[in-house]
Amino acid sequence: MKNIIEGKDIRFSYDGTEVIKGVDISISQGRMIGLLGANGVGKSTLLKILCGILNIKSGKLFFEEKELRHISNRDTAKRIAYIPQNSTFDFPFTVSEVVNMGRAPYLGRFEFENEKDMQISFQAMQKVGIEHLKDRLITEISGGERQLTSIARALAQEPEIMILDEPVTFLDLKHKSKIMEILNNLKNQKTLTIISATHDIYASLYYFDEIIVLKDGIIFAEGSSDEILREDILSSAYGIKVNVRKEHGRTFVIPSV
Amino acid sequence: MTVNPKNKLLVSLISLFILWVLIALISIFVGTYDINPLQALLSGDELSKTIYFKIRIPRIIMATIAGGTLAIAGAALQALFRNPLASPFTLGISGGASLGALVVIRSGLAHGLLGFSTVSISAFVFSIITIFFVYSISKVRGVVATGRLLLAGVVANFVYSALILFMQFFSDFTQPLHTMRWIMGSLDIVGFDTVWKTALFATPGCVILLSLTKDMNLLSLGNDVAASLGVDVERMEKKIYFATSLAASAVISVTGPIGFVGLITPHILRMILGVDNRIIVPCSFLLGASFLTATDTISRTILSPIEIPVGIITASFGGAFFLWLLMKTKKEVIV
Repeated sequence: MKNIIEGKDIRFSYDGTEVIKGVDISISQGRMIGLLGANGVGKSTLLKILCGILNIKSGKLFFEEKELRHISNRDTAKRIAYIPQNSTFDFPFTVSEVVNMGRAPYLGRFEFENEKDMQISFQAMQKVGIEHLKDRLITEISGGERQLTSIARALAQEPEIMILDEPVTFLDLKHKSKIMEILNNLKNQKTLTIISATHDIYASLYYFDEIIVLKDGIIFAEGSSDEILREDILSSAYGIKVNVRKEHGRTFVIPSV
Repeated sequence: MTVNPKNKLLVSLISLFILWVLIALISIFVGTYDINPLQALLSGDELSKTIYFKIRIPRIIMATIAGGTLAIAGAALQALFRNPLASPFTLGISGGASLGALVVIRSGLAHGLLGFSTVSISAFVFSIITIFFVYSISKVRGVVATGRLLLAGVVANFVYSALILFMQFFSDFTQPLHTMRWIMGSLDIVGFDTVWKTALFATPGCVILLSLTKDMNLLSLGNDVAASLGVDVERMEKKIYFATSLAASAVISVTGPIGFVGLITPHILRMILGVDNRIIVPCSFLLGASFLTATDTISRTILSPIEIPVGIITASFGGAFFLWLLMKTKKEVIV
């Protein structure tokens, strides 16, 4: 399978402090990649670099063999969608208005979304099962429903890659599973590549094809969940002793405090 | 049934335009001098001609430009600061522009400079400095804190009004109305010259803001998501600084700080039309224009033949409106 993203020696600094310290990364199309690592190791920064929100000063980043910095903001937005951990909504837009904003990269400055755009947005809402919420205000629905709205908005962008920054961290068990299921279904349709930061080790076990572990701004380990969910790797990545047990064919990860 | 936003915009613009036409017509017909414009035109009476074509009509157009511009600037600032309480007046931009204008006028430096009035230039410089000040003070770790935003505006307003009063204290006491203008605002102008000069700068400012309405919506999803949807956030912020300063200072350097138009207008529209900036920002122009034309008509007729500064009327309406809003939403957290 071809690589949709290819990064070489990516570095990034905030105010002189280097956060990403030389990352080589290659992501093949149609995979679901989990990004693991302790808080503050640069997961969010790396994700923002991959979707072009932050521009790298050193290193090279290719999207489908073209350098990302040579692709215009709008064209990037048609191919890569980004969903933050906790979306902010300062004004009470309706759910369908928010999802329609995913069509913005396809519209001219003074252009409004047409029937086709609205149809794409509606299908995006159906895919995540929120079409019944379309006229509700984004400020009045639950956190889980808001995150589903963000995913529908991202789908309305018709992207090739969806990048999510800890999409389920603040959600209850039900919405957590629901969102992971939705992402898994999207991936299985073979059109979308998904990269998601996560603290959820169990989600990593079941859903991700490949896991990348970030530590101190570099890739510390990468591989399948079996290769990564090992005591030595997790203990080192999170800086505490972690026990990994296998019972009845299931893996249990237990931090020993 | 979801209404197509484009149709919603068209219907709203047409309705608001009709509202403005009605208010402007009423405004032309009422006043201390009671003669209708047709008679004035036909009778050849110089006095009535002067009243209609040098005073009343220019003044209605000035109220339209000023009200519309301040309302658009308010809507844009609310989108930029992601806060429905932002406006040229509450953030101290109006105070800054007034001081800027007054400094040049009082120091006798008011003259044309390469076709631009030094008064407008000074007002522009003061207002853009104020936006930078308020923005940098109120932004904490990339997020605008409401409390800091409003306090920064209060600080700017206090400092500016102190300086304005200080300058008035040492200036010519035979000009009491001029004193009022730089504190309360007034639309008392003569002839079309001032109107065109104001429109010259207010128009490009408003057009820039109108071209950014789609991006303003995206900005409400947060800087990162907006950027991921193709918005160059930093560039857009600079455009809004520049355009609101340009448009608002063009108006304020003529009228002084007229409050509450920029604050109330987008508020009322959002209560009726929702929060889509592609609808709210253009409609703000027409509703702001109607509101200021109406309040100015009240200001020059309510105590006829005495004219009171229009800022007093707008502030009274503004105060009443926000009191009502507070009572209505007692149990909710507004900001």
